[in-house]
Amino acid sequence: MTSIPTWSAVAVSGLLVLVAVGIATWQRLGISRDVVIAALRALVQLIAVGAVLAWLFAHAGVAGALAWIVAMTVVAANESRRRGRGIPRAYRAALLGITVGTAATLGVLVAGGVISTEPQVLIPIGGMVVSGSMQAASLTLTSLRRSAVENRAAVEAALSLGLPAHQAFASEMRTAVRTALIPTIDSTRVVGLISLPGTMTGLIIAGVDPLVAIRYQLIVMYMLLAAWAVSSLVTARAAQGAMFDDAQRLVPISA
Amino acid sequence: MERAELFSLESVTLVVDGRRILDGLDEHIHDGVVTAIAGPSGSGKSTLLRLLNRLADPTSGRVLFRGTDVRDLDVLDLRRRAVLVQQRPVALTHDVAAEVRVGAPGLSDADIATLLRRVALDPAEMLGRDPTNLSGGELQRLCLARALAVGPEVLLLDEPTSALDPRSADAVDAVIRALTADGLAVVLVSHDVVRSARVADDVRVLHEGRVTARGPAGALDLEHELMSPPEDGHDHDPDDVRAHTSTHDPHEHVVRPAGQPPASDLAARPQEQT
Repeated sequence: MTSIPTWSAVAVSGLLVLVAVGIATWQRLGISRDVVIAALRALVQLIAVGAVLAWLFAHAGVAGALAWIVAMTVVAANESRRRGRGIPRAYRAALLGITVGTAATLGVLVAGGVISTEPQVLIPIGGMVVSGSMQAASLTLTSLRRSAVENRAAVEAALSLGLPAHQAFASEMRTAVRTALIPTIDSTRVVGLISLPGTMTGLIIAGVDPLVAIRYQLIVMYMLLAAWAVSSLVTARAAQGAMFDDAQRLVPISA
Repeated sequence: MERAELFSLESVTLVVDGRRILDGLDEHIHDGVVTAIAGPSGSGKSTLLRLLNRLADPTSGRVLFRGTDVRDLDVLDLRRRAVLVQQRPVALTHDVAAEVRVGAPGLSDADIATLLRRVALDPAEMLGRDPTNLSGGELQRLCLARALAVGPEVLLLDEPTSALDPRSADAVDAVIRALTADGLAVVLVSHDVVRSARVADDVRVLHEGRVTARGPAGALDLEHELMSPPEDGHDHDPDDVRAHTSTHDPHEHVVRPAGQPPASDLAARPQEQT
């Protein structure tokens, strides 16, 4: 049976917040206020997002949906940049990685007729792809930064033999992309065994046949694998370009 | 016999964060001999070595290699002609033969054996081993073989023996002398006066970025030169990461952290071993 929750039902679930506040107060954790603020923020943010999405779905069209995805990409790249602090032009690398990862993945899905171009499809799917690409870019930049600091002596040893930067840094590049891909490979491998993933759970709750729901889930997982891989690789390549100067030297990178 | 000029430094100054690491150096380094640049930690000697293969560039002045400004040369070609070997040896692979082939992938097995013998390593004992399991002295010599494999005209050695025990250091010195007997030029930097004088033909003494003495090894009172306190302060060279070497464990050497196990190329670096 499918049941769409009413606002009264949401209010009832709000009682569970009081349980959390009760425990925080009882145990004198000093976080009661934080719990209340977090719950209220979630309420306000989701109402706002819901209203915006409702408007977008009704009025935006394909162009509006794409503009929304571009905006998400810009915000995501800004978030990833923090992970690459110390790497020159980290924002550019993350923006490039997330953009190419998102465009390539969505492009294939749309061109292959897997998803439609309606805003109510493009926006949520685009959001998942941008989010995945962002996590891949962040992990890639984190790994590259760590490698550049910890392995500087080895990279310079290779450069000192006359190896070009891309060869001297090949090991670090592979490590960065591998590090970025491991989480999504792991979650893909155990999907359904440890927990039911979000897309499938949502559809099942909404009353969709589980055998239909898993088709959506498979599409989502496969598209995320591609988005992560493309985003990580493009981010790593762009970052590498900025980490070496014209004389094939690893530029100073702060830890 | 007048030797050809290998490197010439013309008014070379390097300023990092407002500090003069090298201060108006005018020097000539000759071909076919061992030139030692001796000086205390922080004197700028390692930085000077890095200028010779463009791991660093001077703030002002010029570095010439065989009469051509190094900035006008193809940098990868320059680094193959003037190979720098770092103070603390770094293994880049998990196999001795692969290590020698890092900069020269086309070498035959016979070439590898010849190179190992040239640095006084026994191929029968070395081949098949993981460089990360070698002693500091063995790994240092393997790094020399890796450098020689590229076919350089000059080896730039940064404190080649300071991280080694005396016996291993003697072995490395003997290899350096043998290499120059074959016509190879060597520029080495060292804080060890006595050892520098023993292995080098020419010596420059560097104090706070300036050459305070130069000449044939036997003609200089190096002990006196190096023990003379600097005129002002005792700042350490922020760029000279090899400072304080005398406190190193003689067996200590650096291998690259991270990466996955064995590979015959640079795809995976050896695990750190400390």
